[in-house]
Amino acid sequence: MAIKYAGESLLPGQLGQFFVVLAFGSALLSFISYFFATKNKDDFSWQRIARSAFWINLISVVGIGSCLFYIIYSHQFEYYYAWSHSSRALPVYFIISSFWEGQEGSFWLWTFWEAVLGAVLVFKAKTWERPVMVSVMLCQTLLGLMLIGVEVFGQRIGSSPFILLRNALDLKEMAPVLFADPTNLSNYLNYIQDGEGLNPLLQNYWMVIHPPTLFLGFASMIVPFSFAFAGLWQGRHKEWMKAAMPWALFAAMVLGTGIIMGSFWAYEALNFGGFWAWDPVENASIIPWLTLIGGIHVMLAYRNSGHAYFTAAFLLLLSFVLVVYASYLTRSGVLGDTSVHAFTDLGMSWQLIIFNLIFLGLMIWVLVYSRKEMPISKKDEETYSREFWLFIGALFLVLACLHIIAFTSIPVVNKLFGTKIAPPVNIVAHYNQWQSGFAVIITLLTGVTQFLKYKRTDPRKFYASLVVSVIVAAVITAIVAYITGAYHNLVYILLTFAAIFSIVSNARILGDALKGKWKLAGSAVAHIGFGLLLIGGLVAAATNKIVSVNQSGDIPVAGFEDVEKPGDNLFLNEGVPANMGQYRITYVGDSVSGVDVFYKVNYERLDKSGKVTEKFQLQPKAQQNAKMGLIGTPSTRHYINRDIYTIITAANRIESLAGDGHDHADGQEEDPLKGYEEPVIHEVKVGDTISYRTGYMLIKGVNKAAKLENIPLGANDVLVGLTVEVHANDEKVYTAEPVLLIKEGRIYDFGKDVAQEGLKLRFSNIMPQKDRLELTVYQKPKPEKKWIVMKAIEFPYINFFWCGTIIMTVGFFMSILRRSKELNKKEA
Amino acid sequence: MKRGAIIGIVVIAIAIAMIISIFTDSSTYANFTEAKAAKEELHVVGYLNKTKELHYDPVKDANLFSFYMYDKDSVECKVVFIGAKPQDIERSEQIVLTGKMMGNEFRASKILMKCPSKYNKDKVEIKAASAV
Repeated sequence: MAIKYAGESLLPGQLGQFFVVLAFGSALLSFISYFFATKNKDDFSWQRIARSAFWINLISVVGIGSCLFYIIYSHQFEYYYAWSHSSRALPVYFIISSFWEGQEGSFWLWTFWEAVLGAVLVFKAKTWERPVMVSVMLCQTLLGLMLIGVEVFGQRIGSSPFILLRNALDLKEMAPVLFADPTNLSNYLNYIQDGEGLNPLLQNYWMVIHPPTLFLGFASMIVPFSFAFAGLWQGRHKEWMKAAMPWALFAAMVLGTGIIMGSFWAYEALNFGGFWAWDPVENASIIPWLTLIGGIHVMLAYRNSGHAYFTAAFLLLLSFVLVVYASYLTRSGVLGDTSVHAFTDLGMSWQLIIFNLIFLGLMIWVLVYSRKEMPISKKDEETYSREFWLFIGALFLVLACLHIIAFTSIPVVNKLFGTKIAPPVNIVAHYNQWQSGFAVIITLLTGVTQFLKYKRTDPRKFYASLVVSVIVAAVITAIVAYITGAYHNLVYILLTFAAIFSIVSNARILGDALKGKWKLAGSAVAHIGFGLLLIGGLVAAATNKIVSVNQSGDIPVAGFEDVEKPGDNLFLNEGVPANMGQYRITYVGDSVSGVDVFYKVNYERLDKSGKVTEKFQLQPKAQQNAKMGLIGTPSTRHYINRDIYTIITAANRIESLAGDGHDHADGQEEDPLKGYEEPVIHEVKVGDTISYRTGYMLIKGVNKAAKLENIPLGANDVLVGLTVEVHANDEKVYTAEPVLLIKEGRIYDFGKDVAQEGLKLRFSNIMPQKDRLELTVYQKPKPEKKWIVMKAIEFPYINFFWCGTIIMTVGFFMSILRRSKELNKKEA
Repeated sequence: MKRGAIIGIVVIAIAIAMIISIFTDSSTYANFTEAKAAKEELHVVGYLNKTKELHYDPVKDANLFSFYMYDKDSVECKVVFIGAKPQDIERSEQIVLTGKMMGNEFRASKILMKCPSKYNKDKVEIKAASAV
C-alpha cells in the first residue's frame, strides 16, 4: 500500500530534478554538436544547436541552484539536503554556506562557474569557440552526471541534491516505535522540527567566500586545458598559446587566491593552530596550481624563443587532469585515514575514476596524435638565455609537485596494491624540509631570470648586473637574520636570502616599469608578492612557538619526564593570573551570546623589572554544541611583525548551551534526579529548621487541604502537603510544598523544585509513631569554579604571508590585463 | 658532457631521493601487538572503547588525556596523549594514532579522528509535534 505523506512540498524538488536532467541532457547535446561543428567548419547549423543547448544548460544550472536555495531557505526538511546541512536558526549568509557544505552543492558550484565561463567563451572566443567548447561541454556533461542521482542497472549514478529525506533514510529504522503507526508515518514531517544544522566549524564568513573562489579556480582550469587541446587537435600550434594565456593567468590567480583564503580561514577561525598543515586536502588543491604556474612560464619561453613547446602543452593539459585527480582524492573517501577534511564516499568513486580516466585519456591521445606536427626545435637553448632557465624553473615546480603528489597519494597506492604504507610520522616537518629545498631553487630562479634576455645574453653583462643584486640581498638577509634573532636553520637562511634576492631583482624591473615600461610590471609585482609570501609562510611561520607552555614544572606522568616535552595547554582558574612567556594572563570571565561563549582573557606584557608595558584583552570564542562538544574559535592579537593566537581547548560545561547531548527519540524520559547529589533525609516536625549549603529551610506546616490535578481522591485516600520556606543566603525567600499521597495503602510522593537554589524537596514519609515527618532534600552540586584550558601560539611575520598573497594577486591581474590587451590588438 | 644529460641526471637523482624518502621517512600501520615489538613511532588504526572512561581532568593536568582503544584485531590498549582532549572524540567512528608503545601504554603524539560527516550520522532527531 502506498503511503500518502502529509505536508510535503514536492514541487521545488521535482522542478529541481527536472533541471538536473535537463542540464545533463543539454550539456551532452551541446558537447556532441560542438564536436560536429568543429569537424564541419562551413556548416553553421551544428553551431546553432550547440549554442542553444549551451544556453539551456546555463539556464538549467541556474534553475538547479535556485530550487535548492529555495528549499534550504524555506526550511523544507522533507529534502535530505536541507535537513542534513541547515537548520532554522541559521542566518541567511550561513544558509548560503550550507548550500555547499555537501558534495552535491560543491559539484553544483563547479558546474555553475563552468557554465558562466562557457558563456564568456561563446561571446569572446571567436574562431576558438567550437573546438574549445568541445572539451568544456564534455566536462560539463560529466559534472552533470554527478548530480543526476538515478539508478541504472542497479548502479546509482551521481547524487541528487533533491532526494527526499524519507527516501534517503529509513524513517522506520530511526524511530521504530513511533513510525510503526502508519498515521504517524504519513505525518512524519510533524516530528521533524529542525534540520541537522551547519557544522559550527563552517559557520564563518570565510566559508561563504572561500568555496566559490576555490571552485571558480578549479572550474577555470578547464579553459587553458581546452585551448591546449583544441590547438593540438586542430593543428593551430602557433596561435593557441596567445589565446590561452589570459585564461591561464586568470585560473592561476583565482585558484591561488582561493587556496590562501582557505588557509586564512583555517588560521582565523579553525582550531588547527596554523594556516597550513600539509593536509592531503590542502595538497590536492595546490598540486594543479604548481603545474599551471610551471606551464605559464614555459608558454612564455616558447612564445619568445620557440623552445619548450611540448612542455608548455603538456603542463597545461596536465594541470586540469590534476584538478580532476584532486577531486577524486577529496571526494572519494580514499583519504579517510590521512585527512580530517576529506568528504566521505557517496558511492561515487567509480564515477570520479572514470572522470579522471577520460581526461587523462584525452591528454595522452592529443599529445600522441599531434606529435609529428608539434613545432619542436631541434636546437638546444643557450645556457645564458631566459628561456632555458624558465624551463629549469618549471622543471623544479614539477618536481616539487611530484613530491606532494607522491606523498599525498600514499592512500591511493595502498588501495591499488594492498600495501600498508603510512605517511611519515612527522608529516609537516617532512614536507617543510623537501619543499623549502625546492622553494629555494625556484625563488632564486625568479630573481636570476630577470637578468637574462631571451635567446642570448652576454655572460659578462649578466654577471655584472647580477652581482649587485646578490650583494644587496645578502646584506638585507644579514640584517633580517639579526633583527629576527638569527635563524639557526641553514635552510631558512637560504630561503630568506632567495626570497629577498627575488624581491630585489624584481623591484629593479619594477623600477624600470615606473619609467614607462609598464608591460613588464605584472610579473615583477607577482614575483615580489611570491617572495614576501615565502618569507611570511615558510621562514617565519615555520618558526612559530607555543607560548602557553606549561611552566608550573608539573611532570605529566611520572617516569616520562625525560621523553616528554611540556604540554602546550595552559590551565587557568578564573581570576588567577598565570605567567606565560613575557605575558601575565588572567581569565576574567565569560559572556554568552546566542550559541557562542566568549572567554575573556587579559594579557599584560611585562618587562624585565615586572612592569606592565602593554595590556589587551582577547576573547576567544567557543560554541558549546550539544552534539559536537566544545568547538573553539581562536582570537588573535595582530601586530605588524607577529600575531598572538589564542584558542580555548577546554572549559566548564555550560548546561543551558551544551544540553545533555542525547536525543530523546521515541519519548524516553530523562531521570528527574539526574544532576543532583546524594539526598539527605531529615526527620522533622513543624517549626524545625534545616540548613543546606547555601541557606536554611523552615518547616512551616502541614497542609491537609492539598490538591493534585487529575488525581481523584478515594474515601480512604490521604493527601497532605508540607509547606517549606526556603531562606537563601542572599536573603531571598522561596516557598515550596511537596505533597504525599496515600492511595489504596500505597505511598506516592510528588516533589517540588526550588530551581533558583538547585534544590528538590520530597515529602517522602509520615511516621506517626515517632511524630515525625520525613523530608528528603536533593541538592545540585556546588557550581564548579570557572576555568579554561587554552593554547597560545606566537606567529612571527605572518603578515608577510597575507601581504605577499595580495601583492601576488595584483601582479597576476596586471598580467591578465596586459595579455588580453595583446590578444585584442592582434585580432583587431 | 652535454647539458641535457646533466639536467637529466639531476632530475633523476632528485626523483631517486624522493623514492628513497618514501621508504625511509614513511611509517607503517600496525596493531598494538606489532607496536609493542617495534621500536620506532608508527600508526595504529582502531576504535574507541566507549564503555571505559575517557580520562581528562584539566584541573589537575591540562595536558594529559588517556583513553582505551581497540585496534583492528580487537586488542585493547591504554592510550596516553600529552595534550588536551580532542573535541568530539566520543563520536569518532575510527581513530588513527601516531606514536609508540611505552610499557603497556601507547604514547600518542597525534590523534586523527574520523567522525561522521555530519554530527550524528543519519540519525533523525524526532521531537514531539508542537504547535509549530
